Amino acid sequence: MTGLSRRRFLAAGGGLTLAGALSACGSPVATSLTGGQPATADVIFWHLFGGGDGENMKKMVTSYQKSSRRSVESTLLSWGNPYYTKLALSASSGRPPDVAVAHLSRLPLLAQANLLERVDSEQFTGVGIIEDKFTPAAWEKATVDGAVYAVPYDTHPFVLFYNEDLAKKAGLLNDAGDDLEPMKGRDDFVNAIKAMKQAGGDFGAVASITADPSTCWRFFSMLYSAQAGPMVEDQGTKVSIDRDAMEETFAFMQSLTGSSGLMPGNATSTTTSTLFSSGKSGFLFDGEWQIPTYRGVDLPNGKPLNFNVVPFPAILGDKAVAYADSHALIVPKSTARSAERSADAIGFIKFLLEDSAVWAAGGHIPAWLPVQKSKEFLKQKPQSNYIEAAFSAVYDPVAWYTGAGSDFQTAMGSVISSVLGGTTSPKEGVRDMTASLKTFSTARPPVS
Amino acid sequence: MPATAAATDAPSTTSPSGRGRRRSEDRSDAGTKAFNRLAATCLTLFALIWLVPFVWALITSLRPNNEITSHPTRPWSNNWNLDAYSSTWTTNPIGWWYVNSFIISTLSVLFTVVVCSMAGFALVHLKWRGKYVILGLILGGLMLPMEAIVLPQFMQFRALGLLGTYWALILPVVAAPVAVFVFHAFMRGIPDALIEAARLDGASWFRIYYQVCLPLCRPAISAVAILTFISTWNQFLWPLLVLTQTKSQTIPVGLGSLIGGSAIQYAETMASAVLGILPLLAVFLLLQRQIVQGVANTGIK
Amino acid sequence: MTSTPTVAAPTAGAATQTRRRSAKAPAGQNRAGWLLSSPFIILYVLFLIGPVLVGVVISLFNTTTVAPGLGDFVGFSNYKDVLSNADFWASMWHSVLFTLMTTPLLVLLPLLFAILAARLTRGRWFFRLAFFAPYVVPSSAVCLIFAFMYTPQTGLITNAFGWFGLTAPDFLGTTSGAWFAVVLLTLWWTFGFNFILYTAAIQEISEEVYEAAAIDGAGPWQQIRSITVPLLAPTMSLVFILQLLASLKVFDQIFLLLQGGPNYSTRPVIEYIYDTGFTSYRGGYASAATMVYFLLLVAVSTGWLLVRNRRNSVPNA
Repeated sequence: MTGLSRRRFLAAGGGLTLAGALSACGSPVATSLTGGQPATADVIFWHLFGGGDGENMKKMVTSYQKSSRRSVESTLLSWGNPYYTKLALSASSGRPPDVAVAHLSRLPLLAQANLLERVDSEQFTGVGIIEDKFTPAAWEKATVDGAVYAVPYDTHPFVLFYNEDLAKKAGLLNDAGDDLEPMKGRDDFVNAIKAMKQAGGDFGAVASITADPSTCWRFFSMLYSAQAGPMVEDQGTKVSIDRDAMEETFAFMQSLTGSSGLMPGNATSTTTSTLFSSGKSGFLFDGEWQIPTYRGVDLPNGKPLNFNVVPFPAILGDKAVAYADSHALIVPKSTARSAERSADAIGFIKFLLEDSAVWAAGGHIPAWLPVQKSKEFLKQKPQSNYIEAAFSAVYDPVAWYTGAGSDFQTAMGSVISSVLGGTTSPKEGVRDMTASLKTFSTARPPVS
Repeated sequence: MPATAAATDAPSTTSPSGRGRRRSEDRSDAGTKAFNRLAATCLTLFALIWLVPFVWALITSLRPNNEITSHPTRPWSNNWNLDAYSSTWTTNPIGWWYVNSFIISTLSVLFTVVVCSMAGFALVHLKWRGKYVILGLILGGLMLPMEAIVLPQFMQFRALGLLGTYWALILPVVAAPVAVFVFHAFMRGIPDALIEAARLDGASWFRIYYQVCLPLCRPAISAVAILTFISTWNQFLWPLLVLTQTKSQTIPVGLGSLIGGSAIQYAETMASAVLGILPLLAVFLLLQRQIVQGVANTGIK
Repeated sequence: MTSTPTVAAPTAGAATQTRRRSAKAPAGQNRAGWLLSSPFIILYVLFLIGPVLVGVVISLFNTTTVAPGLGDFVGFSNYKDVLSNADFWASMWHSVLFTLMTTPLLVLLPLLFAILAARLTRGRWFFRLAFFAPYVVPSSAVCLIFAFMYTPQTGLITNAFGWFGLTAPDFLGTTSGAWFAVVLLTLWWTFGFNFILYTAAIQEISEEVYEAAAIDGAGPWQQIRSITVPLLAPTMSLVFILQLLASLKVFDQIFLLLQGGPNYSTRPVIEYIYDTGFTSYRGGYASAATMVYFLLLVAVSTGWLLVRNRRNSVPNA
């Protein structure tokens, strides 16, 4: 039967492949059969950076490989829940990557689940990774229950973009022309937006508030955190909302998008970037990682878009706060990782820290102070404008369900979005927010 | 016993009765012909539509990206090239994914055929205490929705320390009730006389199983082997949970990580899809008859 | 399917009974029987029944999927949490909705096509190839291709709507568009399996029945209605239950194409278990959800078996 001889051919081919696969260096086959530590490269590294950030990361990895003569297997994974799920699954299997990226806002759950190596241990301090070399806010965020579990890498805050030409027309620029006139408090801020609108835009400010719960959350969190503490406490099991502060925040946000017409009540990220990049809105509220989107963009009239980025001023509170998150590098615990592998992993981390000026080109503020204070970074504009945002950064409340891309952000963001869109009143917004938080806070935490 | 191979073109219902029909109603003959022609047209149209995703993926993978963005629905290109394939081959460890899938599926087939044929033999030709209990248990197993049980299964393999290995994928698949029943049905067709004769010659039960019965079960082995190979190759959720290291993944899991990725690199994405389809499609084209037969038999059983 | 083994046993038993009366060892058979089936039994108990037991145990504890150990005993509170959780019931509904949409399509359309295909003499291989080839394609490859074809503005299917003068729904952005996308994908992907089952069953219908009907003057449509369809009833029943169960267990397509979205509005139960168990690390809770879902599926299978056995007083040939 011809089928049989065909099958024999396939079998023979398969046998040869198998023999080749088992004997090849860097082959995953042997460890997949025996369950040992995967050794397909000297350092196995997982990250979630695509686009421009991904390119910068690739550059750094290549430099590391050249200078240290170690091989790095770097895998790009989808941002958000899928990434953290995968990390947890691999840690669970006892064969995780050697180094991985994590958001500091997602750290509590990972740390409490006992999945990470401690960073305040001899291995790390021995090569110079110590507390006073990092932005204090980030180092504090990397500390869970008194122990440090992640090496902060950058801080990426939610910041204020402004169109320089419109700002000049509106009379908002300072004398040097490199920053806005200082604004103190709510009235200054609102007047600035009004002036921007009058200077010739359709709107005074835009933010991506439709189908983008994370941005809504960042915007809200920045305003609320200036007046009140975290919304949940005790690792997220207790709801501690300041109702008045929240209502005031909602009212303020709605006053901008409502009848005053200073901001659109509905704007997707595409609408937002179109409005800002065509000069139809003087201000943009967005994360600094959007800077590359607007670099080199031309206005409809052919002239280049001149924009600058600065931290938000104090709006609803006395002091300026910035909503931010940080990327950090973690070393997941592994049952089978040898001391040599661990040393390579930490060496890789050290290299990335020292090279983080390359990373900063994506708009981020390096957390590694030697680079942050270096000339190489300070001459990067506009990043060096908002260094203070890294120091006054307010992160997500510490809980097992919060963090970048979490369901928490999505749920909070959808309530905020409907307040901004005008379909929910501030009072109703507080009620919906509380109800939503209750579902999260009453679910039994998986780890404690 | 097995259904006649769907491959053999059984004569259509019109031809043998053609003579009889011509004797009676010419009108209904013409009606039948028209009906058949309509059926053929309809079917051909749908079959061509069914082939569109394959063809479209192939065409897209051979066109340059800028051409795809400028003329998305044009099925022709002026610059056919294989760049997308070399690009995706170097960016993603597709070669390792092939190897992993192949090893897992082959080992699964091996173990499944051996274990289930032995059980099938024992259930048919041997009388032993508890046989019917086991039979009932296996029957019950037919109803077990194994896909739903992934979470406890994960915890179990975690405790066994087998996560991240091929064994976590092979072991749950080997004891397959359906395979046992396929072998059961074939073993039943082996005349007792043969077995008795071997027994009188002093052969042990294992020898009888191995030398007498198994060779006579080739169609069953073929059906079980092919279906096990295909189903283990195409598994998604369980390997997604077990194989997290990039180079240890199987094709379905590896391809799954490419979804939602680079939104503009259409050609590379389609090239990855084509590469993912190729192995099993090749198997399918080579072994069409056996596959279809196997599916039909299993269903009927 | 259920009755064949019991029919088989007496014949084997009859043969061996003569042997038992002769001197040879029933003990030998007993031992051989157990030895030969032990690999299967061990693997079966460990890896098919084992997870079910593990699931039941874990669902009573606050276990986490990322750390060893069982955690605190919490009794039935996981079940209470699951059964009172709106997201859980929403996901159950999504699985049921998907089943309601796909089962009629995938039971009836392949039947129609198989009947039509049976009337043709030539080119059967072509139809078999075209309809069944998708079955051997992995789910992620299917989703890659369809996601590409569903791309807004540039996708093939999006444009195809335009050719017929319709506006394409937003496949990945709206719930109804998403359901359409996933049902169409599933139809393309799994159609061939049922098609083959029907084709094989049709082939078992003897020619003479058709000949007799043709002589009596029955046209092709009448033949189909009064001969083919009734004789295919048992196959239809089989295809129905297989499709029902397979649809209730949906995961791959919805997870890969839509990630349960937009906004978890299409998330099926298995993805809910995946999210709570593996993304939120809540092993005990997800186990309770698994058990509830598991019971549902077993109930459906058992229900169908009971109905079928009551209907067929004679076992299947």
